Amino acid sequence: MKKVVVLLFALAGMVLAQTTVRLSGFGGDNVPVVNGLLNEIVNPKLAKDGIKAVYEPVEGDYTKAILNALSAGTAPDLFYVDIFWAESAFASGRVEPLDSYFTKQELSAFLPNLMQAFTYKGKVYGIPKDFNTLALQYNKDLFDEAKVAYPNQADTWESFEAKIKAVQEKLGDVAGFCVVPDFARFGAFAYGTGWRPFDSQGKTVLDANFKRAFEWYTGLAKRGAAKPAQDLGEGWTGGCLGGEKAATALEGAWIGGFLRDKAPNMRFGTTFVPLDPQSKKRGNFTFTVSWSLYTGSKNKSAAVKVLKAITSPEAQQWVLERGLALPSRSALANNPIFQRSGKDAELNRTVFLGSTALGGAVLPYKFAAYGGDWLTIINEALSAVITGQKNVDQALADAQARFDKLTGK
Amino acid sequence: MRLGRLIEATNAFLFLLPFLLFLAVFVGYGVVRTVYFSLTDYNLFDPPKWVGFQNYVRLFREPDFIRALQHSLAFTLVVTVVQTLFSLLLATVLNQRIRGITFFRTVYYLPSVLSSAAITLIFLWLYQKTGFLNFAVSWVLTYLPLLLTFVGLFVVVQAVQVVFERSRGLPAKPFDLALATASLLLAAAGTFALDLFGVVNPREGVQFKFIWLNTRQEWAGLPIPLWAIVLQNIYTTIPTLMLIYLAGLQDIPKSLYEAASLDGADDWQQFTRITVPMLRPVTFLVITLGLIGTLQVFDQVALISGPGGAPLESTVTLAYYVYNNVFPSGATPKVGLASAAAITLSVLTLVVVLLQRRFGVSERGY
Repeated sequence: MKKVVVLLFALAGMVLAQTTVRLSGFGGDNVPVVNGLLNEIVNPKLAKDGIKAVYEPVEGDYTKAILNALSAGTAPDLFYVDIFWAESAFASGRVEPLDSYFTKQELSAFLPNLMQAFTYKGKVYGIPKDFNTLALQYNKDLFDEAKVAYPNQADTWESFEAKIKAVQEKLGDVAGFCVVPDFARFGAFAYGTGWRPFDSQGKTVLDANFKRAFEWYTGLAKRGAAKPAQDLGEGWTGGCLGGEKAATALEGAWIGGFLRDKAPNMRFGTTFVPLDPQSKKRGNFTFTVSWSLYTGSKNKSAAVKVLKAITSPEAQQWVLERGLALPSRSALANNPIFQRSGKDAELNRTVFLGSTALGGAVLPYKFAAYGGDWLTIINEALSAVITGQKNVDQALADAQARFDKLTGK
Repeated sequence: MRLGRLIEATNAFLFLLPFLLFLAVFVGYGVVRTVYFSLTDYNLFDPPKWVGFQNYVRLFREPDFIRALQHSLAFTLVVTVVQTLFSLLLATVLNQRIRGITFFRTVYYLPSVLSSAAITLIFLWLYQKTGFLNFAVSWVLTYLPLLLTFVGLFVVVQAVQVVFERSRGLPAKPFDLALATASLLLAAAGTFALDLFGVVNPREGVQFKFIWLNTRQEWAGLPIPLWAIVLQNIYTTIPTLMLIYLAGLQDIPKSLYEAASLDGADDWQQFTRITVPMLRPVTFLVITLGLIGTLQVFDQVALISGPGGAPLESTVTLAYYVYNNVFPSGATPKVGLASAAAITLSVLTLVVVLLQRRFGVSERGY
């Protein structure tokens, strides 16, 4: 009896001495990954400090859950912030700037493009946990069958179009590419022309460069080089490639897992986004998620320790080795895992390099604090032209009018 | 005596208390907060700023809100009318004394038992460009010549039989069941023979590829994706309303029908002169429930407008407009504007129901 009481007290003492840091992020596939990281890397490392990190995933709509929690003051110590809504989260004043917790040197170890994405008004509000960019995937068997050369990194829009058009013509039932009315894909081409979503005054102007990219992209189907994804019964370009309905796709590293399930035997290659023939440049997005700190956190110092451990080189190495995500630290670019041969390594390498100078004009996937309101305007213009409901000039004029209203004239 | 009444009132209040508490906390408090927020500029984070009625003024200048308002009103009108008619029809059919009618009642009630989310996912698949709906229409179009031949033969054979029977002085109705069965078999055999000898052939290469969801096309003034939701909503709500009508039908005294048939009223007269007027209080309930439900339609819109689905501006309704402004994707929440829209929606619901009661079907019977 005595022993039990002593044991209970000892346990209680341990619990009291222990600081629990709550982490929140997406549910689903993320749960085993983060729990693995916490159990194998973070918690063993921080056990001596009496810190225990616990993952509280949000199943369902994460963005709404975290915005609510931030507003109500019940947010966890550390949480994911997706770049897409980062600016409205940072502007809320409920996310702690991290500059005072990290040295300059510590921050400079991360890819500068990603750090830039999580910097708001000169302060760093999040440490990127991983990222993705776009790359061009192609089905080697279909190109071989059509006797067409594979796409490569020297391809411009024109030479790329000639190749996929040849594939579509020779194979008949396979599209060269499937066009989606989505700025998250089309934007890579628009950025290549030198166009930027906002000018120096923060306004959106659809200039001649934008129009050039818009005309080329929306005209692909009409010119016989591609088909609308909708007509192929797919919602994304990866679905078209995986179902062998199209010979190419424009996706990030996430397509790897999908293709492993859907078409494990497909021989596919990966190269960079085609170049704008005029500017001789390409464009790209960074899709990324950060770990950020809640201003109302009661154990900020413990939370920062967890934050450092979960974005440490060991942690990123652990994730990379398992093929789960691309690391956000520049030093890992030379990791032997990237240099392996094979279709998945090539995909990961190309997507990783897409964020560097090789990727050309790379912008984070965020649109000031406008978010979906901004995207909708371009997406609807793309959709209207691709489905033949409007012509290019009319669609762009309508879109410009809506941008003038949204971002100011 | 007075004490007794007091005790009775106290008891009643005590029994009502749990529900009143619930109402006060979750509805009363919510309404008060919403009214307050609708008069402020609030983004969930910074303290609310008092702006008076500016949100309401701004609301009616927002093209998206006007569109949502138009969609909601049109949606309500179409769905309420169609679902009321169809549920009355179904209830009348299912009120017959036929063997195994309980089986049909159960089957017809199924759409209302299934969750709205599950149904929407099934409909999303149904509405795909290469989905079942387009496939079914393509099938019908392909076999149209055969179907028309079949119907034509049936009518001809039936007419010949009826004329023949009457020429023998027998009282044959145009839709005599026994004759119709024979006509059906003969028409089927005839169509099969015509197809076999190549006289009538199915059409070739007919592919109906209508875009139901990802489009901005309009039909009769409403976007096509909204029509898709109209169809789906009617399908899911008819059964519940049908059940209410069924209960109402059981309450109509049989003696009325007996008296009517003695007076020589036929089925149609009995339906329009007895069933419909006697069901008036039920119809009032059905229409009111329908108006409230359709004005506040949300889940089906939210699910059908998801990624890869219909464009938001073609499907947005008032309830979804409210939601989308509190949680805009990737942008700062506009809680003040959303609250103003929510209040507008509830006032609109009240007004529509009152107008309906005043000028449409009221709860007073015959």
